[in-house]
Amino acid sequence: MVRRILAAAAVASLAFSPAHAEIARIKSSTGAAAIERGANHIPASPGLQINPGDRLVTGKGGRMSLSFIDNTRFAVGPNSNVAVNEFQYDRTRQKGSFVTQVDRGSLAVVSGKIAKSGRDAMKVRTPNTLLGVRGTKFIVEVPE
Amino acid sequence: MSWPRLAAACLLLGGCATSSLVLLPDDEGHQGQVAVLETDGKPTEAVISQGNSRTKLGDPTPSTQPLGNKGLKAQEAALLTSLPPPAKSFVLYFDLGTVTPTPESQAVLTALRAEIASRTGPQVEVTGHTDTVGSEADNDRLSQQRAEEVLNWLASQGFDRSLMSATGRGERELKQPTMDNISNAANRRVEVIVR
Repeated sequence: MVRRILAAAAVASLAFSPAHAEIARIKSSTGAAAIERGANHIPASPGLQINPGDRLVTGKGGRMSLSFIDNTRFAVGPNSNVAVNEFQYDRTRQKGSFVTQVDRGSLAVVSGKIAKSGRDAMKVRTPNTLLGVRGTKFIVEVPE
Repeated sequence: MSWPRLAAACLLLGGCATSSLVLLPDDEGHQGQVAVLETDGKPTEAVISQGNSRTKLGDPTPSTQPLGNKGLKAQEAALLTSLPPPAKSFVLYFDLGTVTPTPESQAVLTALRAEIASRTGPQVEVTGHTDTVGSEADNDRLSQQRAEEVLNWLASQGFDRSLMSATGRGERELKQPTMDNISNAANRRVEVIVR
């Protein structure tokens, strides 16, 4: 019994890793491309870590791409405004939920493990629709 | 309603400039689906499943057209080109109870280093595992040490530690399921995912 409690404690300490607030990283960017985090405007340089709630914003001619920790990949086109509203992922169980909102512009998506983990676990919202992603590659375009 | 007034109403509502969806097969050629769960706030049940197609969104029963000969628009093709490369996995193996990769795995380390160096904004996830020889607590420690050993080597090769994370999973995720206290070379491993 004591041994079992010790083992459980060891598991708990392994599971605790504060560095994992990170959900994605910027892989590339060109032109006017930034992350809006609350009142902050952060240039989208490669390696920048993304948090849930961040907004991906590009100007005319701006682009950025990012990879998420569940292997989802994004490419954001020019003149875009995309919010990562919700991202929860359990690495061990490979399950989670992911909601992205495309307010303007274009977003290419290759879905990852979250989309595979449950029906409509990954959703994309546009101004007039809510989409459920069932494991695929797609482009969403929202004209101004 | 006259056309100019309709157009003005569309601008105000922001919904008439219809958003659209281009559905494509994934990189392995598998075709997934996208469901339209809501349109203008009302539940809908449409499912778009036709690959290489374009769908105007906003209608409760949206109509899907094949991309056809025209194919993708130039800006769509450019968008796909800017997607990051897919994640790549590497596996290193270890002798019983040790934290140094086997001689055969040294070549994997070299390939791993090259892969990380080739990527912009790389992120590296290192996960250590053991076989079932020894106690669970010892194996949790050993798997963590194996992962950290690989991470430390990568750091010694000049990669910033902030790019990398190391986790130990002990004997919980056996590659080859075995009884307790079985030595198994396939289970003594470190898996590395490079994004």
